[in-house]
Amino acid sequence: MSLGMSLGNIILRVDGVVKRFGGITAVNKVSFDVEGGRILGLIGPNGAGKTTLFNCITGVYRPEEGKIIFQGKDITGLQPHVVAKKGIARTWQKVRPFKNMSVLDAVVVGALLRTNSVVQAKKRAVEALKLVGFPEEKYEMLGKDITLMEHKMVDLARAISTEPKLLLLDEVAAGLRPHEMESLANILRKVNKEKGLTMIVVEHVMRFVMNLSERIIVMHEGRKIAEGAPKEVANDPDVIEAYLGTKPL
Amino acid sequence: MAFGEWMSESKKYIIGILVVGAVLAIIPFATSFDQYTILLLATALIYGIFVVAWNIIGGYAGQLDLGAFAYIALGGIVASQLMIVYGITPWIGMFLGAAASAGLAIIIGIPTFRFGIREVWYALLSAALVVIMNNIFHMPQVLGSLDHYLPSVSGWFYLEFPTYENIYWFVTVALMFVMLINLMISHSKVGYYLRAIREDELVAEALGIDVRKYKLVALATYASILGFMGYVYVVLQGTFSYHTFNAPESIGIAIMGIIGGLGSIAGTLVSGFSLKLIGDYLRGSLGATIPGLNLLIYGLLLVIIGIFEPDGFAGIYRKYFHKEKSASKVSKK
Repeated sequence: MSLGMSLGNIILRVDGVVKRFGGITAVNKVSFDVEGGRILGLIGPNGAGKTTLFNCITGVYRPEEGKIIFQGKDITGLQPHVVAKKGIARTWQKVRPFKNMSVLDAVVVGALLRTNSVVQAKKRAVEALKLVGFPEEKYEMLGKDITLMEHKMVDLARAISTEPKLLLLDEVAAGLRPHEMESLANILRKVNKEKGLTMIVVEHVMRFVMNLSERIIVMHEGRKIAEGAPKEVANDPDVIEAYLGTKPL
Repeated sequence: MAFGEWMSESKKYIIGILVVGAVLAIIPFATSFDQYTILLLATALIYGIFVVAWNIIGGYAGQLDLGAFAYIALGGIVASQLMIVYGITPWIGMFLGAAASAGLAIIIGIPTFRFGIREVWYALLSAALVVIMNNIFHMPQVLGSLDHYLPSVSGWFYLEFPTYENIYWFVTVALMFVMLINLMISHSKVGYYLRAIREDELVAEALGIDVRKYKLVALATYASILGFMGYVYVVLQGTFSYHTFNAPESIGIAIMGIIGGLGSIAGTLVSGFSLKLIGDYLRGSLGATIPGLNLLIYGLLLVIIGIFEPDGFAGIYRKYFHKEKSASKVSKK
């Protein structure tokens, strides 16, 4: 993969990123490309370094080595709010609602990134809430009064309302019941299709990612150990070993 | 945001501010210009301003600032000294006092927010600021140990009067402006951003909010309002010294803000005004027999509010008089 080649439809390039905490290398020389308009799955057991990698991309951590290229520009080490402005949004492993703000106001905060007018931002916030299918009668409820599934929808709408080019979803299905997972997957597919929004979906539940994305990257102990279509990845001996342990001889 | 758009959104609140101003303006007539009462009311009202200003940093931005009197005293002393030494009218001095306080806030705010100091650490740091300023102004080269008095002059040029009703009306008008500033912040992008920072800084950052910048804006706005009003505070006290950097009273402002309800303009005004009024009245009537009774009452109220209604006076009002759920209700239709 030479850097000289044209990036074409590559929206994000992660190139040899290393992040250490003391003696532990949480992310170890990870490289991959994300194609515009696609949903990329990023899986791996707990502690594989997926969230740390997310934090490197969004500017929460500054990687020790390597580069992050977004839309042809080096964004390595920029502050999180600058990265957001460039068009990368994220959701969190644990929902982080604005507990004492109404659902609508929380999404308005996101929409205000692209406009200074609160009235304009409200219109965009309503659009984002409609897109994720959040029930209209609950727009005025406070963040502390809604259910987990609704929180996930609000977090998603809040991220979408910043009008990102790339959306990073960190364990978005965590804590949901199977049928809720299915409806969330449908919402993500819809957002991807209608907005043409590129996504990276981090999960340690394989099933959720398997039928959402065409391409999957597997991480284990900070390294990328496999990359490919869901089927290939699932049958990769390294992946099986990482998830289930070594096959006895 | 376009001004017209903002006007139509907040018409009812502006009418509210005008009504509050009108009611407050006629009170001196009701007391038949009793000077003690008017001084008491003016002092309570200026505390209302302090607490409503505190609402910007404490209520919207969620930073537990305990340093109110660092800014009040600095602004007040700057304006007073300019008048005493150079004969500059407080109408200019108050703006310079506001600028001095804003400058202090920025000097303190930049490193504080740069290194992510928040929550109890921010509270301690802001409380320490008052003590440090107190010590600096205690030095013989600055104010020394003496009490300083404003020259006995009178007239609008000096904002000093033989009786208190004019200064009371001045405070009333100032209060209306401060409420208006609060209202404009609350309904604008800045207000949404400050509330988002209060709720979750990490999320705010990820939504593209320059957290440091907006905290600094909140702190500087708060400090400049306090600095501006500092001179009027000195006039009401009649004297200033290093004691004007008053740490316990600074904590009192924050307590009044919490009891009033974080983020509520009306709640913080009512709380600041009524608690100071009750406190000073009790100090005047029972202070000799039971010293510190006003502090006991603040403490008791804080405990009661904490247990029964963490949203303060504003929460009580919403619960019993208004069946609204959210303080930042939006009128959709």
